[in-house]
Amino acid sequence: MMQQAEYQIKLPTFEGPFDLLFHLIKKAEVDIWSISIANITAQYLAYLQSMKELNLDIASEFLVMAATLLRLKSKLLLPRAPRASDQEEDEELFEINTAEELFQRLEEYRLIKEAAAFLRDREEAHQKIFLRSTGGQIWEGAHHLSDIMHRFAEATHADAYAPAFSAVEDFVLAEKSAYICSLLELAGQPLPMKDFINAGGTWEIIITFIALLEMARQRKVILLQDRLFGPILVALIEKEPQKEETSG
Amino acid sequence: VDKELQIKIIEALLFLSEEPVSDDKISLVLSVPSDEAVMLVRELQNKLKADERGLQVYEIAGGYQMGTLPELATHLEKAFSEDVSSNLSAAALEALAIIAYKQAVTRIEIESIRGVRSEHVIENLIKRKLIRVSGRKEGPGRPLLYCTAPDFLKYFGLKELGDLPPLEMEIQEENLLP
Repeated sequence: MMQQAEYQIKLPTFEGPFDLLFHLIKKAEVDIWSISIANITAQYLAYLQSMKELNLDIASEFLVMAATLLRLKSKLLLPRAPRASDQEEDEELFEINTAEELFQRLEEYRLIKEAAAFLRDREEAHQKIFLRSTGGQIWEGAHHLSDIMHRFAEATHADAYAPAFSAVEDFVLAEKSAYICSLLELAGQPLPMKDFINAGGTWEIIITFIALLEMARQRKVILLQDRLFGPILVALIEKEPQKEETSG
Repeated sequence: VDKELQIKIIEALLFLSEEPVSDDKISLVLSVPSDEAVMLVRELQNKLKADERGLQVYEIAGGYQMGTLPELATHLEKAFSEDVSSNLSAAALEALAIIAYKQAVTRIEIESIRGVRSEHVIENLIKRKLIRVSGRKEGPGRPLLYCTAPDFLKYFGLKELGDLPPLEMEIQEENLLP
């Protein structure tokens, strides 16, 4: 078992069964319309066998193709039955009933592969040309809050389903709580809420506010406000030895 | 307005624009007919080409855009390496080729040509804005139809879909028998 790791033969990867068949046909230097089903089936199975020996996962599509090839081969060996029952259209994705159909599908695949090669060439050529890019200028032209929100939603579209609070934010919150505590201890008296905000960005105000609410809930601080919209004072609640409280 | 000035205006216009500029827009800016605008852009294009300037005019996605000379890529990458988008995978290119030539197509049609499941590949192409959903096919299940998005032409530096080379069918039918 341990020795397996020593054999690292790399097989070329194929995009699918058609890709592999196409590779085998090219290796045999025949064109699609004159391949021998028996021959190609043998080669295909040999390839799957080598994949198996290397303990590679063989995608189900490759196995379906192997079965299809074997069926086509067996059909060629047997006298043709009257094909009344064959008529029903099979909706199966990779269903191939005759050798002709296989050739047709392979030919279609070959054309697409050629088109893909053309696109690859274009891609490489065009990547050598640098164009003026919009990257990093998403705020330009955003005059209204709704614009900014729209652009923000666009820019972060991929993360739209990310959880609302991440570990990073929790960390920021804990940091802020510790900071508020240390300031209060140092001052030894209640402080107004604005004293805990340094840079004053929206994000910091939100974090500070959430931290204070959380600390009030945990009964670490008490929030005092003498009138509506008045300044909020934050006072530390002195820790009393909880164990002394006896139950009645 | 003299021609030299008109060409200068086009040069400045293309330099400023982040998107391909259509000939209609150029004709609007210069107040000249569209075909004259095209002629003037061509002239600018030829001039920059003849002088082998660092900036060239390219025809992309139905318009004109300034871009750098391809030969400069190795130098420019030193400064803008993060701007270079990663190449598409072979699977993505296959799916994209099918969509580009046969649009609009369903996922099943793509998969039957490729012989493999392609959901993931399609999803990625949509994310990269190279393809988009164009509607639903009538029939059982009403599957989604996919076609190329405007960014497809920009990504490959193509002028229009007609720039794609025709698919050449090999002669068949006759020599079919195995």
